[in-house]
Amino acid sequence: MNEPATQTGALGFFNRQGADPIARMLGLFLPLATILLMVLFATQSDAFLTLANLRGITLQSAATIVLAVPTALLLMSAGIDLSIGSTVAVAGVMAGIFWQQDLIWAGLAAGLAAGLVIGLVNGSLVSLAGLNPIVVTLGTLAIGRGIAQVFADNPIFDFPEPVVAFGAGSTLEIPNLVWVAIVVVVLGMIVLNRLPYGKHLIAVGVNERAAYLAGLRVKMIKLSLYVATGLGAAIAGIMLAARFNSAPGGTLGVGTELFVLTAVLLGGVPFTGGQGAIWRVVIGVLLLGILRNGMVLLNFSSESAQIVLGSVLIIAAALELVRQRLYRKQ
Amino acid sequence: MNQPASVVISDLTKSYGGNTVLDHASVTFSPGRVHALLGPNGAGKSTLLGCLSGAVQPDSGTITCSGRAYRGFTPSEAFGAGISTIYQHFQAIDDLTVADNIYLGAELRRGGVMINSRAQLAGASALFERLGVDIDPRATVGSLSVGQRQLVEIAKALRHEPATLILDEPTSALSQTESVLLLELVTRLAHDLDIAVIYVTHLLHEVLTVADEVTVLRDGKIVWTRPGGDLDMQTLVTTISPDVDDSELISQSRDASNAAVLELDEFSSGFTGPLTVTIKEGDIVGVFGLLGSGRSDLLETISGVHPRRAGHALLHGRPYNPASVRSAINAGVALIPSDRSTMSIFGPMTALENVLLPRWPQTTRFLLRSKDNESKAFERIALSVQLKPPFPWQSAERFSGGNAQKLVVGRWLNDLAPVSVLVLDEPTQGIDVGSRRELYRLLRSFVKDEPGRAVIFASSDPEEIERLANRVLVLSDGVLIGEVEPGLGEDALLGLVHSREGASIKRTIGEEQYE
Ligand SMILES: Nc1ncnc2c1ncn2[C@@H]1O[C@H](COP(=O)(O)OP(=O)(O)OP(=O)(O)O)[C@@H](O)[C@H]1O
Ligand SMILES: [Mg+2]
Repeated sequence: MNEPATQTGALGFFNRQGADPIARMLGLFLPLATILLMVLFATQSDAFLTLANLRGITLQSAATIVLAVPTALLLMSAGIDLSIGSTVAVAGVMAGIFWQQDLIWAGLAAGLAAGLVIGLVNGSLVSLAGLNPIVVTLGTLAIGRGIAQVFADNPIFDFPEPVVAFGAGSTLEIPNLVWVAIVVVVLGMIVLNRLPYGKHLIAVGVNERAAYLAGLRVKMIKLSLYVATGLGAAIAGIMLAARFNSAPGGTLGVGTELFVLTAVLLGGVPFTGGQGAIWRVVIGVLLLGILRNGMVLLNFSSESAQIVLGSVLIIAAALELVRQRLYRKQ
Repeated sequence: MNQPASVVISDLTKSYGGNTVLDHASVTFSPGRVHALLGPNGAGKSTLLGCLSGAVQPDSGTITCSGRAYRGFTPSEAFGAGISTIYQHFQAIDDLTVADNIYLGAELRRGGVMINSRAQLAGASALFERLGVDIDPRATVGSLSVGQRQLVEIAKALRHEPATLILDEPTSALSQTESVLLLELVTRLAHDLDIAVIYVTHLLHEVLTVADEVTVLRDGKIVWTRPGGDLDMQTLVTTISPDVDDSELISQSRDASNAAVLELDEFSSGFTGPLTVTIKEGDIVGVFGLLGSGRSDLLETISGVHPRRAGHALLHGRPYNPASVRSAINAGVALIPSDRSTMSIFGPMTALENVLLPRWPQTTRFLLRSKDNESKAFERIALSVQLKPPFPWQSAERFSGGNAQKLVVGRWLNDLAPVSVLVLDEPTQGIDVGSRRELYRLLRSFVKDEPGRAVIFASSDPEEIERLANRVLVLSDGVLIGEVEPGLGEDALLGLVHSREGASIKRTIGEEQYE
């Protein structure tokens, strides 16, 4: 009745290898596309493959990665947070107000607290009250932007020396903000792959009712993920404010949600949840970052860059569909 | 189709990555006959039917249908060849009406644009009349019972006047009365309309009543095909599961002086009660009742899915009032719900993930996951429930129906965390005879091996009640009409509930739905 263990192992290995070649190729699509894009830009512009430019791309992508990691986890659980762009602004503005008074740590705390509060509001409304996440976070997107603008009535800029130094500086040749992103990525990987919680959130994304009946703390899991995106957005806001040495409440983080969701989707996390990997999301962010950078170097107008980004979002969704079809077929 | 002809399958072979699932299978399905396809879980029954419906592409072999030989079907070719399939999982859309569902994708239109609802209603009524069933075509599908949904699926299939009708375990989720109805209908379809009916089941007594022809499939090979009239239960059982141990399958007596595990006092769930009963250690309590008797509701309330309406409960002498499924589990009460696909299985997740999910923290090392502990735990569990194939990495949706159910059983029946009361709603849905007895054995040793344990299960199969339970609660229309000793006999059990059934039948519509 039971196959001997050795055969199981051998067959298992065989099966995995032979799984389905096309889906595996699609899995490689993302890294390949990234490399292809880099080659393309390198041939078109001498400025692209310079150390300074590549460094610029990673620096620009750092805040996006900090946003994308928790957003990816939330999406895997079949949730969504559209309010992150405004949370970036609120957190940046809150931190900036204290920083202008030379209160560095208080600014940091205020920024994080803003993200925590917005995350708790989103999470409670979605998971405890059972409201639709798109509606709730669309609401907090508007509210957050309003709050940021009210507080940023007077321009917020000119921060204390340590803040500016952190935002612009490097440690071991790597920009400080990139270090922050690396820490967040490692944390994200630990959460998803090394903690039971990672599997629990996937289970919620696959079938919420079955997850509840299996005894998982579905409400807590969902709440915690909205808190995570709130905190991620807050950290990103603080990073951006420090880097720009200012916190413009009206423009900081505008449109971030679209950019981050595109990157996450491109990174292979479907909107329907239930699967995904952090490293692919990181590549998704970098791919978009390279695309954005290359378009600037090649003098694309910002309008046409916008059109390209929108198209990438749709292409990413189409790719996902193809991938799932192939999987079903097999 | 114009002229009924046999569907001939010859030398059909299919393998998944080195795992041969169908092995040169040859069988003929003739019009006007009910052909039962039997075999243990994972034998390849659904795969064979999948080849016919176009869902699965065979590696080699042919399907001959209306005189044409095919190397395999696409779903639309299968449809064109007059083959209709009723899937185990309902395809109907809950929010649409019955009539709209029946005409979904092939709507009747007025002037080519607007949906002609009136014509669809009339058409649906006419179909139901022909089937001899009483369903309101205006009702939404979501408000129907499982059995009624099944009938809607059949009506939908019949609209296309199929030559061959495939039913994969149509009765596994039905109550006894509904099964009987469905089987009568199926027989009528075959004999009166000259349709070839192919149906898969694990409920062997059905086979003896309706099958004109029986084919047994094991490990992807056809063992034999015989006319249904010549068979008896013993032959079927031993052909399907040759190594089944039939010895100790009589319910064991219980010791009434044992300590109480779960005491219900005037306990009411949303639909049932008040109920007063004391469940003692070593008890395997069978809750028997028809669809709509409140079985699921009672079991789910005990397991913390719904809040109780009134009354008290004591677990091991302490007040037991779970606020959620999780708190019930923490108190040691675990539920295996009735509908596997929507309530317990995570299709795209792996077997290991499905089994360990709620017990993951028990396998960690310093809070981090330990691959080593995980695979050891999985191996033990897979062995104890005889999972086939025992691959930890295979996604749950790629297991056969019965083996998927074993994943859920293994989720709670293990040594990772203590469970003192195991609550099972239709525990052997889709499980083959051999594994079914294996599960009975597992449950028996569960209550015997350690003190303080008990099992509560609900079943609409009187045979299962007779074989597994050592106490039987008979529930009708939400009321406990009596506790009987096992050994009363299946007919007596059915008699008991049917005597009260007239009053309850009206209330069954829409009951046993979840949310
Ligand atoms: N897509 C797939 N990929 C890999 N293996 C599969 C796939 N589909 C089915 N199998 C395997 O094929 C075998 C036969 O499965 P099938 O569903 O035909 O069994 P079955 O006879 O219908 O069993 P049951 O009575 O449990 O429904 C099983 O071992 C199953 O794990
Ligand atoms: Mg099957």
